[in-house]
Amino acid sequence: MRRDGGPEIIAELREILTEATGRAELAGVGEQVPLFGAGVGLDSLTGTLLLREVHRRFGVDVAGEDLNLDALATLGTLAAFIEERTA
Amino acid sequence: MMIKCVIWDLDNTMLSGVYLESGSQPPPPDPAMVSVAAELADRGILHAIASRNPQEAAEYAEKATGLQFAAVECGWDRKSDAVSRIVADLAMAPDAVAFVDDDLYERAEVSFRVPEALVLSPEDMADAVGWAEFSPPVVTDEARRRGEMYAERRLRQEEARAFGGSRDEFLRYCGTRVSIGPATPGDVPRLHELSVRTHQFNSAGRGMTEAELAALTGSPAHRVATVRLHDRFGDDGLVGGSVVETAGDAWTVSLLMMSCRAMGRGVIEALLAWLARSAAQAGAATLAVPCLASPRNVPLRLALAGSGFRAAEGGTPDQPAAVFTRALDGPLPELPEWATAV
Repeated sequence: MRRDGGPEIIAELREILTEATGRAELAGVGEQVPLFGAGVGLDSLTGTLLLREVHRRFGVDVAGEDLNLDALATLGTLAAFIEERTA
Repeated sequence: MMIKCVIWDLDNTMLSGVYLESGSQPPPPDPAMVSVAAELADRGILHAIASRNPQEAAEYAEKATGLQFAAVECGWDRKSDAVSRIVADLAMAPDAVAFVDDDLYERAEVSFRVPEALVLSPEDMADAVGWAEFSPPVVTDEARRRGEMYAERRLRQEEARAFGGSRDEFLRYCGTRVSIGPATPGDVPRLHELSVRTHQFNSAGRGMTEAELAALTGSPAHRVATVRLHDRFGDDGLVGGSVVETAGDAWTVSLLMMSCRAMGRGVIEALLAWLARSAAQAGAATLAVPCLASPRNVPLRLALAGSGFRAAEGGTPDQPAAVFTRALDGPLPELPEWATAV
């Protein structure tokens, strides 16, 4: 199984992230860029919107399965987490 | 369950008539409904509108009733969708809202699709002021100003949508100010209220009584902190707090809480950074936040993850308790520029 998540998942996650943050420039964010901290700056509000939409579109409850939310390190790790559960 | 927001239909409910069928003169507000709503607003309960009408109907209702509405959904889709959007927008649990509509079909549709909501007719609403669901045990100054603060929030959100930059740029543009300081006895009622009202940002998953909080505020082995928030749109007052046991070289946060109204405004990150820095300054090696993980406090876990906290175990349905910890010897999270310790 691919560990980095399929390109379709990454593309869809970029779309969700852009919507959740209201920042069009994140449409080109790299899959290795940290989501927390400087750069993307995911916070409680945008993180909640992102997780809600991931649950709705992929049926994956990230927060329910991942106590430390490690899956939210980057778009790549999030895509891999989703792919492992939907493959 | 205490009701935090009443979602009103307009035609033949908040208004004595049908907005679009009344010619040039829109129908006047129903005085009985306005007086109930005003009384509930005084108790800190919010109001919102879900109406099959153009947006102007809500603007008219706002002016004519003198009430402040925290959220407005005007349109022609299902009432249950409007109710769900308001619940999501205000970050509330569906069982914390009431829906009032004169139309039996609309009430049935909302009851069916949002079964947790309290669904009422205008006749039911007429004596709601006496009901337990609408009678919060404590009403603080912050609570009385809640409607006004949510109206300010609507303006802030409208600007944020048009703004386009990053969240931090927007917080600077708004002149955001977060001040963190020691709690005084006068803060105890509001801290108690926050401890019972907060769910998305409440680490303990339970409230603290005024007596407990008053004792902790005077205890040398504890530090109780308050967080206040304001910006150029308005003053949100006391929006968060923490209770810390400072014994030994491990500081333990027995309660960390924040009003969901302050979500997305850099407050929880500021509080976590301040706690980590204060603990490190006092010589502690670790900062621990025991947290009862639930689907409702995922926003708190996002803040903890973003501030470098990790839990070794817990967070499962059979073992919800988890202790989120971070070491204090490495680089510490920066206190954001909009935050000050007082």
